[in-house]
Amino acid sequence: MTDCPCNSGVDFNDCCGPILDGTTTAQTAEALMRSRYTAHVKGNFDHVANTHAPEIKSTYNKSAAKAQSKGTEWVGLEIRECKDGGVDDETGTVLFSAKFMENGDLNVHRELSDFRRENGEWVYVDGKINPQGEPRRVQKVGRNEPCPCGSGKKYKKCCGK
Amino acid sequence: MKRHFDCTACGKCCHGWLPLSISDALAHADIFPLFLFWMPVRPGGKSYDLTRELGIELKLKKRKRAAVRVFPVSYVPTHISCPALQNDGLCTIHESKPQRCRTMPLSGARAESDQLDLLIPKPDWDCDVSDTAPLIYDDKHITERQNFEDERQVLIADSKILKPFANLMIDGAPKLRMDLEKVANRPKGGHLILNFSTLVPRLADVDIFKLAKKQASVMLHFADQTAERTEFSDEHKRYVACAQDWQKILD
Repeated sequence: MTDCPCNSGVDFNDCCGPILDGTTTAQTAEALMRSRYTAHVKGNFDHVANTHAPEIKSTYNKSAAKAQSKGTEWVGLEIRECKDGGVDDETGTVLFSAKFMENGDLNVHRELSDFRRENGEWVYVDGKINPQGEPRRVQKVGRNEPCPCGSGKKYKKCCGK
Repeated sequence: MKRHFDCTACGKCCHGWLPLSISDALAHADIFPLFLFWMPVRPGGKSYDLTRELGIELKLKKRKRAAVRVFPVSYVPTHISCPALQNDGLCTIHESKPQRCRTMPLSGARAESDQLDLLIPKPDWDCDVSDTAPLIYDDKHITERQNFEDERQVLIADSKILKPFANLMIDGAPKLRMDLEKVANRPKGGHLILNFSTLVPRLADVDIFKLAKKQASVMLHFADQTAERTEFSDEHKRYVACAQDWQKILD
């Protein structure tokens, strides 16, 4: 058994393997994302190119991507968040961090990727590198309002003391 | 204000940096040392609105902004002649020469109303700007339009590739943004220079190995030309590093 490079903890032959060799297709946006990462690990740039949406095919040079990836070694994938992109969805986004070694340095590629179904198959549409998260919003509690901890006391007499 | 101009084929403007379209850069990759210029313009600077259209808008600190245009350049040191310039002042690639050369002295990268300063020849140029030369600029309108329009169209087409590329690079490399900010804040402006190879993964039809072969040898040629000339030591280092960069692809 060989663990799949995408860090799913599943055997390669039950995870990205069949998607890469074309015996099956990705059922979810996340599965496609994982298979595209594994394709980078394995140097299978055909899979990367074949899973691009038609409108971005003209801006991807497979052999150039391959030639320039020589000094890059992918060392780990972490899926941070998936929105939609399930078996019943038509679109989806995946937020991920992929670690790689380059010139002896460990780097992280963080990306929020957009996926879409094209003739039933998931394809990669676009990505935002190092996306900014939603600004954190903090609800202010007035000193005389009931304490949010549910004690029934005023905030100033309870947690806000 | 009327401006007249006729080219006397003196070859004096065929020196130093030459901005190129992507296709002109690729077509002459066997002679031009190709780099990518990143040139910020601050609001109020030359042709800001056009630069923002052809390039990207960058938010800087303190709510300031800059428009940044990215474009390929034949990076020949200032005062060194273009590799396509013959001793008699004529061009060896005249039939297929870049659109930038054809449009000279006008520029498709500048607004039509913002061309006047370009039409005053540099002190050592031999352009014919007498009243007998054809009228090319009249009251902020270009009268001889064809090459100007052609260059503008090429720049617009290139921007469809260069804009997403620029955004991706800036998002992926925080240092690039910081460096651009520094350049944008300089009173005299300036530019950053990246290797042309960074763009190639976005150009679907380019054979990177053929290109790397051409460019590796061009860079070595220019590294030779600038060796042991202190005034070109910056350029020299760049050629050497870039030659290695292309060579890595071939190894």
